[in-house]
Amino acid sequence: MEKSFKITDETGLHARPATVLVNTASKYVSDISLIHGDKKVNLKSIMGVMSLGVQQGAEITISAEGDDAEAAIAALAETITSQKLGE
Amino acid sequence: MGIMDMFKKKKESTEDKKGIFVPITGNLISITEVPDPVFSQKLMGDGFAIEPAEGKVYAPVSGKVLNIFPTKHAIALLSDDGYEILIHFGMDTVTLNGEGFTTHISEGDKVAVDDLLLSVDLEAVRSKVPSLITPIVFTNLNEQTIELKKTGSVTHGDADILEIK
Repeated sequence: MEKSFKITDETGLHARPATVLVNTASKYVSDISLIHGDKKVNLKSIMGVMSLGVQQGAEITISAEGDDAEAAIAALAETITSQKLGE
Repeated sequence: MGIMDMFKKKKESTEDKKGIFVPITGNLISITEVPDPVFSQKLMGDGFAIEPAEGKVYAPVSGKVLNIFPTKHAIALLSDDGYEILIHFGMDTVTLNGEGFTTHISEGDKVAVDDLLLSVDLEAVRSKVPSLITPIVFTNLNEQTIELKKTGSVTHGDADILEIK
């Protein structure tokens, strides 16, 4: 399943928020990807996320596949809101 | 003497080129002393940090440039022996939007130990951010950890500073 977000944080998806997202994603067994434009990376990899260079205003999609996909997406959505990363 | 010794010699010289070298001249400190919990609590991974004495960052490994953050304050490398290494110059430097930072390499470039990666105008940047302390993080260590073999004053290119256990 998938959910899209818009990044509102001024500094985009940099070190601190990327780390929080990756740590959240890593708690789930599902395969979780972060998609930005035509690039898709493993959301459990810090390097992957940072390499997207996601900036303010960007649209991203989180996609999860697996037993706990729904829970993973919910947790990631919660992280994005609570970290004031996006909406 | 003999064939076995020839093989032994070859292995040693390959190992000499591997390893982690000091990327910035300055003061080498434990990553736990970095003034940001994302780094000091090793949330991104274990590593070490340098308080820069000069605004020049050199390659700590032989490898490839994976990514240069758009604001040029962070560079991701993949070492030839498989380590993903993030060099994050200073704290909150993402807010500078690249001002004071000059990159000397591009994404995808191969780098050798001690190649110049980034120049930073230290004096211009120093007053605008809380700290210049630069963590160097190994983001894919999994169960392994970094053990520093020395701390204190170092020069870029210095060898033998840590062990990965």
